[in-house]
Amino acid sequence: MLSKALLVMKITTFFLLVGVLQVSAKGFAQDKLNLKYKNAEIGGILSGIEKQTHYRFLYNDQLRGIKQKVTIDVENADIRQALDYLFAQTLLTYRFMANNLIVINEDANRQPFEKKVTGKVSDPNGAPLSGVTVTVKGSAKATTTNEQGVFTISVENDDVLVFSYVGFESQEVKVGDKTQFSVSMVSAASSLENIVVIGYGTVKKRDLTGAVVSLKGDEVKKVPAGNVMESVQGKVAGVDITRTSGGAGSNVSITVRGNRSILAQNNPLFIVDGIQYSNFQDINPNDIQSMEVLKDASSTAIYGSRGANGVIIITTKRGASGKVRVGVNSYYGVTDIAGYPKPMNGQQYADLKRQSYRTIGKWNSTADDAQVFTSAADLAAVQNGTSTYWPGLLLHKGSQQDYGVNVAGGNEKTKVYFSFDYYKEKGLLNNDYSGRYTLRLNIDQTIAGTFKVGLQSQLTYYDENRRADNILTVANKVIPFFTPYNADGTLAKYPGNGNQSNPLLEEVGGSYINKTNTTRILSSAYAEWKPISNLTLRSNLGITNSSSRNGFFEGENTIDRALSTGSLAKVTNATQADLLWENIVTYNQKFGDHSLDVTAVTSYISNRVDSSYASGTGQLLPGQSFYALLNNPANLAIWSNYVGSNLLSGAFRVNYGYKGRYLLTLTGRADGASQLSKQNRWSFFPSAAVAWRVIDENFMASQNLLSDLKLRASYGIAGNAAVKAYSTQSGLILIPFSWNDQTALAYGLDPQTGNPNLNWELTATQNIGLDFGFLKNRITASVDYYDSRTRDLLLPRLLPATSGYQKVVQNIGKTRNNGIEVSLRTTNVQTKDLTWSSTVTYTRNKERIVDLVNGQSDIANSWIIGYPVKSFYDYQKTGIWQTEDSALARQYGYKPGDIRVKDVNDDKKITATDDRVVVGSAVPKYSFGFSNDVTYKNFDLNIYVYGRIGQTFVSDYANKFEPNAIENGAVVNYWTPENPTNDYPRPNANISRASMPFATTLGYKDGSFVKIRNITLGYTLPKTLTQRFHVATLRWYVSAKNYFTFSKVKDYDPEGGGSFDRPLTKLIVTGLNLDF
Amino acid sequence: MKSNIYTVLLWLFAGLAVCSSCNKKLSEYNPSGLTSATVYTTAKGFETLVNAAYTYDRFWYGKEEGYQVSEMGTDIWTSGTGDVYPQLTQYNNLQGANTSALTLLWNNFYAAINLCNTGINSISKVVDYTDQQKAIREGELRFLRAFYYWHIVETWGGVHFTTETSEGAVTTANKTSVDTIYNQIFTDLNFAVKNLPATTTDYGRATSTVAKAFLARMYLTRGRNAEAAAMANAVIATNGLKLLPKYGDLWNMGNLKNSEVVWAIDYSTNLANNDLTTTAYPYGHSRGSNNGHLLYLMVYDQVNTTLLTRDIPNGRPFNRYMPTLALLNLFDPSMDSRYAASFQDVWYCNLPKDTVKKVAGNTFNKSDVSSFKAGDTVCYCPKVSLPTSVTNAKHYTTYDISRVYDNTGIPSQRKFYVSLKKFKDSTRTSVAEAQSARDVFVIRLAEMYLIAAEAQMNLGRLDSAAYFINQIRTRAAIPGHEADMQITPAQVTLDFILDERARELCGEQLRWFDLKRTGKLLDRVKRLNPDAAQYIQPFHVVRPIPQTQIDAVTNKNEFTQNDGYQ
Repeated sequence: MLSKALLVMKITTFFLLVGVLQVSAKGFAQDKLNLKYKNAEIGGILSGIEKQTHYRFLYNDQLRGIKQKVTIDVENADIRQALDYLFAQTLLTYRFMANNLIVINEDANRQPFEKKVTGKVSDPNGAPLSGVTVTVKGSAKATTTNEQGVFTISVENDDVLVFSYVGFESQEVKVGDKTQFSVSMVSAASSLENIVVIGYGTVKKRDLTGAVVSLKGDEVKKVPAGNVMESVQGKVAGVDITRTSGGAGSNVSITVRGNRSILAQNNPLFIVDGIQYSNFQDINPNDIQSMEVLKDASSTAIYGSRGANGVIIITTKRGASGKVRVGVNSYYGVTDIAGYPKPMNGQQYADLKRQSYRTIGKWNSTADDAQVFTSAADLAAVQNGTSTYWPGLLLHKGSQQDYGVNVAGGNEKTKVYFSFDYYKEKGLLNNDYSGRYTLRLNIDQTIAGTFKVGLQSQLTYYDENRRADNILTVANKVIPFFTPYNADGTLAKYPGNGNQSNPLLEEVGGSYINKTNTTRILSSAYAEWKPISNLTLRSNLGITNSSSRNGFFEGENTIDRALSTGSLAKVTNATQADLLWENIVTYNQKFGDHSLDVTAVTSYISNRVDSSYASGTGQLLPGQSFYALLNNPANLAIWSNYVGSNLLSGAFRVNYGYKGRYLLTLTGRADGASQLSKQNRWSFFPSAAVAWRVIDENFMASQNLLSDLKLRASYGIAGNAAVKAYSTQSGLILIPFSWNDQTALAYGLDPQTGNPNLNWELTATQNIGLDFGFLKNRITASVDYYDSRTRDLLLPRLLPATSGYQKVVQNIGKTRNNGIEVSLRTTNVQTKDLTWSSTVTYTRNKERIVDLVNGQSDIANSWIIGYPVKSFYDYQKTGIWQTEDSALARQYGYKPGDIRVKDVNDDKKITATDDRVVVGSAVPKYSFGFSNDVTYKNFDLNIYVYGRIGQTFVSDYANKFEPNAIENGAVVNYWTPENPTNDYPRPNANISRASMPFATTLGYKDGSFVKIRNITLGYTLPKTLTQRFHVATLRWYVSAKNYFTFSKVKDYDPEGGGSFDRPLTKLIVTGLNLDF
Repeated sequence: MKSNIYTVLLWLFAGLAVCSSCNKKLSEYNPSGLTSATVYTTAKGFETLVNAAYTYDRFWYGKEEGYQVSEMGTDIWTSGTGDVYPQLTQYNNLQGANTSALTLLWNNFYAAINLCNTGINSISKVVDYTDQQKAIREGELRFLRAFYYWHIVETWGGVHFTTETSEGAVTTANKTSVDTIYNQIFTDLNFAVKNLPATTTDYGRATSTVAKAFLARMYLTRGRNAEAAAMANAVIATNGLKLLPKYGDLWNMGNLKNSEVVWAIDYSTNLANNDLTTTAYPYGHSRGSNNGHLLYLMVYDQVNTTLLTRDIPNGRPFNRYMPTLALLNLFDPSMDSRYAASFQDVWYCNLPKDTVKKVAGNTFNKSDVSSFKAGDTVCYCPKVSLPTSVTNAKHYTTYDISRVYDNTGIPSQRKFYVSLKKFKDSTRTSVAEAQSARDVFVIRLAEMYLIAAEAQMNLGRLDSAAYFINQIRTRAAIPGHEADMQITPAQVTLDFILDERARELCGEQLRWFDLKRTGKLLDRVKRLNPDAAQYIQPFHVVRPIPQTQIDAVTNKNEFTQNDGYQ
């Protein structure tokens, strides 16, 4: 250990020497001098001259000017020229004496040249910036710009002015002989464009070796949404984001480069300010400085086991020295249903029912209606034409609103950013809402020159109430003859007959409550010490804490209680505490053409969840809701549970560059996961990446077409241990039981048995990428090809039930994802008034299962080798058996009007073993995003198109065909002898949907869609106007989200995945952005 | 510089310290979980295993899945409009892939077998049991194993059999002959008869009497008639067991634990002790407790919605099953009390007290408008055919036989019919409550008389057979008609015994086994159940093995689907 430290010391000393020796003098001509010095003391330069010539200098080394530092670069100068040049900025004078002696003195009459300079500071658009701090570097002299952006300050010629302002990059300008300055500030965001956050560090974009996409804050919040990831849908090639539910506060699902795992989650790892934090929905989009998506194994390898599914790093904004900046953002919008097909009306339903009775010979004409509509109420409804559109009674317009304030400020030592945000979404159903309060405080404090501490903290509080998922499903099946109200205006308990619930009963105040209050804290503190300029030691301590309380009450008339007695009240509490402690050492060094960047990390993560609930039924007074569980006389139940897991890791990364053109990254991480078996707990995940900056090669210098060209390649292995804790253990289950009505304990064997040999799931990914730019980067693009192969899948294997168990998790099987990602940015028009830029992303991923247990497809789970994980394995509907084919139909055992499916192996029998095929998959063949930003004078316009092509979904609507008309269903074109369609089979009063052959083949639909995800038109008030109100910028915008969708499915947004429950919404919104 | 070096060293040491405690940090702490090693090794813990071994029969008894494979697909029931498993009712398109009912039963019975095997094979390791306690608990587990294997072997035939404890992930299954499985059943039952006590304080726990009664059933099933008769006799002679004087009292919710019950599943009146799926018990049943009350009822609440609405006494009608015409024809209600005790054929107006409504009460004759008050007849389903002139003249709606069945016996409509009321439960706390605490009689004494009768008949002793049957029929007689109910030895035939069993035991989850045991399944279904007659095939005497099982085994060539099924 000691010898290692000594080695570090030696190396450090060596590097220091190299740094010092950069200055050197050459040439030994008698008369002509070559002087090349950088920031060197005049005294030193004079000795240099002495070495080159036969002149000797005489001076008092206490003279101020001798110690002055200058930069000089003269060639073939004679001694007088050289000295004039050298002393120009000093009080020094020289005099030639005999014997080549030169005496140097100070001219007391000459004063240091101090002058007043003025200037004007403006933002990138040319508008004056007031409050910009202007300091003289290395002195206490400072001023700020006035309302017109103008400043005045007295300086010397060799001073350097520093301009700083929150939100903008600090700028340094040499005074020289200028007296007038015009400074245009560059916004921090755009200068950050060239810095990319990677795991445990940052890197210049040019030096990147992996497949990393970086989005800046502005891009992240372009589409107004409470959820950050919803806003970036389609903006990152390779990342598939879908929101399948329109319920208030519902989350999105995200996969990066396809599904690798079958059991383990495919969610990417989210890192917020260095801390893993899966609740990305908590983050206020306005707080985001940048978001990076790490896709290939080389970039994610530093996160080892957690990075197999990609890593998304979110960096929040920080304070900056200079004037305090205040931003205010707010919007309000109205949501509406984005397409929802209607169930049958009374007439259509009556026709279906008649046809179903006709099939069994009980109906021939309306004269037989009494045979069909046996209840008096039904018959009356048929005759009166009563029809209720039930879902319409439940669906309303919803809303989204957001109000946020953020403040950034600070000085040289302390930098603070804090913000508050309130977001509220009201769903399409009454009482379906989600309110989110977010507070953030980020502080950076420099304690001493090299020592810095800081804190990032976020508190999120949710106040939510969710309606039952099945309410619309029920509304869609209530028979339209019925009306929700009794004659006296009260709600009918069982409309029509007793078969069906009245979904409106859940709308009655207090009858259905599902209220969740969640508080989550994401807090991390760091201490950072730079003992020397190129060594950083940092320790992060992160704590994320979540506590939630769900209060649940279902009154006795709610749908879920239809099979039970009385109300159900339940309170569930859960607390989660994650602790993360990481120590990071980074060291970088340049020597000659070589650059080296080393990062080493140790990490400890512990997760703890404990939860409990209590419930009971039959509460006396519904008004007590879930607040008085003791008043529930029946079925009182209690439960508590603890789940904990730990992860220990050590990691390193070496970035090496040669001449800045040839780049190499080596990464390794060792992880130990508690949920795996003892002998397999630890694993090492290595990766390597290379990049070649072709553009920097000499032979590229002569061309003008390409402005950037870089080749990248990487290979690495990542792991996944995302199985539930305790999966190695075989547990017992508690079965409710009693003897003589007295509760007795009964422990049976858990149907899922433990696997004591659980090991890591491993994914090896290779990635080849090309970055290029044309026409001074007016066009830039990245193309990546990747191939990731996952083996030792953590597979929930179904066991034959004869073993006594039904499931076990094993390391069996392989999957493979390969594909191409393209992202293209173009600046189409760039003039003073008009700019137009476009971004195109394109992702094509081929996902498939390569191997499973014994090389066989798992039919029970629809895991078919050669197809994506989420595939649909079923019979292939070819139409409906027609009358003219009745002989053939009979041969198969069917009759005209039945669903006809393909006899795949042509054995004249339709069998489950031989005639089912993959009829589609939920993953798209490709997806793309096309974003356009146009600014014209003070107007800005964004049009954003997103497409997802080639996926199949199961439509609840298309599936809702009840051949016996037992419930209401979809309006479909069904077969009758007069209507020989191939769409839907013949109604039949004697069979239920469940027993109708091949009923499931009706639901598969092509889910391809292209939608105009967002149209935003904004207007920024002219500066001249806003500055009168001390407002820096004021922008007003209108946005339409999800308004236009093009697909093959009528009246439905296929992104919803076919669900009846929670139709997706469209949103029209208007908002304000204000900066002070 | 030097101090910097020391700091670096300090950091490195700190890192090392973290790593050295690594593996300690990586051992799992699972205070909420239990394992068999910690629980099943003590007497107290082993009791929980035995208790659990009793719970798996709740997936069959009193559940739709169980009724579907034990009563449906026989000669006595057919589909109501609500039947969700018509494949099983009619043998139409019956496959391993399309009947979740069979999958549920298969999975849970094999889970039960494995738990019994685990207990039987590890009870010797329980240190704090006395030898007698061990023998009793092993006896119970062996009884239960035999009981579960019987359901498996009768339902699916010669399928997987083991007495070993499953270790780790077992991915193969075997096919074992029916005889081998029955050999084990007899071995286990003999052990149980020998070691179990005669009585228990825990109602529902297996006793030697229970084991004997079940053994009688097994002997009869395997054609060991003399042993069957002897064993049935032994149970009949057991102290404390006797037939109730009135058949109708058997179904009284207040009298469930009576002298005629040999063994029952004692669903708790505290429904939380039963098997409904909850967050805490995710592997439970979706409806829980006894659901028998739901399944056989016709939709009386759709007859005339203004006069008759759903209420607790009439029950929650799921409209799943209706009697075949053949079943109704078995009864002579004039002398046999079992018809009225088993079936509901009249429904009364349940308007609030003192309310009077003037409406058309006869759906088939709307011109007849009359006044109704609570208690007036609204619907009547006589098991005879009546002339329209008679039915149209009534103020109420009549579904006589001609309005329910066509002349081939196929139901002309499946909503309004005579409904089995044995399992109704008006103690349920709400009209919607699906869970009933009604016990399920798994073995009752009347069956022992019928077993004895069948065994005696098989042995050629018709007089003896007639004696046992007459015992049952005497009890069933409407007072004053005892003599009319008597049969002569010459009347005893296999079909008569099956008819008698239908009269006595219909709905009690034995019918399919009875038809299979007697080799009459095809014959009687073809003759008496016209819905199923067109589809039933000889291979239907065993059920299809669930496709999930076929898909999951790795020895697919050995463990194949039952013949005839896809």
